Amino acid sequence: MTAILKEDTMRIELDRPRCEGHGLCEEAAPDLMHLDDEGELVIDVSEVDGADVARAQAAVRVCPVAALRLLAADAADAEAAAE
Amino acid sequence: MTTAPTSDIDLFADDVLVDPYPTYAALRELGAVVHLPRNDVYALTRYGAIRDALADWESFSSATIGFNPMVNEALAGTSLRSDPPEHTTLRATLSENLTPRALRGLGVQIEAKADALVAELAARGGFEAIDDLARAFPLEIVADLIGFTGEVKENMMRWGQAAMEVIGPMNQRTQENFPIAGELYGWCSTVTAADLAEGSIGRGIFDAETRGAIPAGSAGHIIHQYLGAGVDTTIASIGNIVALFGRHPEQFELVRQDASLIPAAFNEVLRYWAPVHAWGRRATRDVEVDGVVIPEGAQVAILFGSGNRDPRHYETADVFDVTRNPVDHLSFGYGPHGCAGQGLARLEAHAVIRALATHVGSFELGDEVREPSNITRSIHSLPVRAVVPA
Repeated sequence: MTAILKEDTMRIELDRPRCEGHGLCEEAAPDLMHLDDEGELVIDVSEVDGADVARAQAAVRVCPVAALRLLAADAADAEAAAE
Repeated sequence: MTTAPTSDIDLFADDVLVDPYPTYAALRELGAVVHLPRNDVYALTRYGAIRDALADWESFSSATIGFNPMVNEALAGTSLRSDPPEHTTLRATLSENLTPRALRGLGVQIEAKADALVAELAARGGFEAIDDLARAFPLEIVADLIGFTGEVKENMMRWGQAAMEVIGPMNQRTQENFPIAGELYGWCSTVTAADLAEGSIGRGIFDAETRGAIPAGSAGHIIHQYLGAGVDTTIASIGNIVALFGRHPEQFELVRQDASLIPAAFNEVLRYWAPVHAWGRRATRDVEVDGVVIPEGAQVAILFGSGNRDPRHYETADVFDVTRNPVDHLSFGYGPHGCAGQGLARLEAHAVIRALATHVGSFELGDEVREPSNITRSIHSLPVRAVVPA
């Protein structure tokens, strides 16, 4: 079961220099991310599964400057290792 | 892979500019990419192809965002017509004062101004939607923001229109507008901190230059882009708000009954009538889109308004529906070059919609007049009559 869960887990990746704080992602997924008092985006839940995946997808979709990505967690790990 | 389908339409013909939607529909049916020999461009027509291209700056360079060499030359060194990595720094400097966090303090002022203006117009019983509201309001906001007054304010509408017009191909409209766009450029290259009101964002940009926080000489460029990109398009969208609410009174009523629909209504206005007709890119390599090839070096024309009406992406795409909330519409572009001023545009438009919903019960429209324009699609004049104040 653990392996199956792992496969379904997705990770929200933020390209911070690109983020301009438009805040549309927070409107789409307030449980997963928020703008702090300085207007900087904070990802509260970066590993998502189940119903949260759809919410995370909506947040990624709505970002006007394409600063968010949603990757399979193992792909994100591989990418991090490659860098 | 095959070559792109071809059409002999002229994207910048008067009748297409006044009402591009039948042409968009015909082009979309031909393919996601259509070669237009009369304009020497490959047009992107479908939602998916447009959004992908906007995200893929490596294949679709902004080196030719304009459709004539003179304008691309004039825009050299701006974030608008640069690619990463150069673009990244230019964009950060440009957007620093335009992000929602920077604009937070302005929202209340903007709401109050829209409320006062619309209350006064509604009490008159009738008004000119474009002159009295769509032009007057953003010009006042941008004048306050940059901190200019007097003669400059008088010229700003002409200058803003011309700055967009010259992005078109070298037709008569472009030729006539280059001298006017040059006046804006000239003002921006000679303006100094002392010309701008203390406490304005414009003054702050010059102070940042003095401090060395932004490169020397960049303050004038930034102000040029605020005015060139932000005036004409905002005027277009506010005019479109009034026109579409007037044509669809039942949709206006939905917004009047439920203020939480205001952001969705603005998204739908932007989707339904895109303020920008065509925007350029250049293929940096042979790019395959939906099975056809755009050859390396080709000029690309992105048709935001066509993508916004693509039935492959939006159900009943030709219906104006304020409950749809199309958050992923293409009218602000997308990706690295996504509209830097969209936060300000939302503040202004939401304030106008809120003020209309508060002060106007119902209204009728007179005859809408449009004039062909290369890039910005907007209403030239629109009488509003029989206003029943709320």
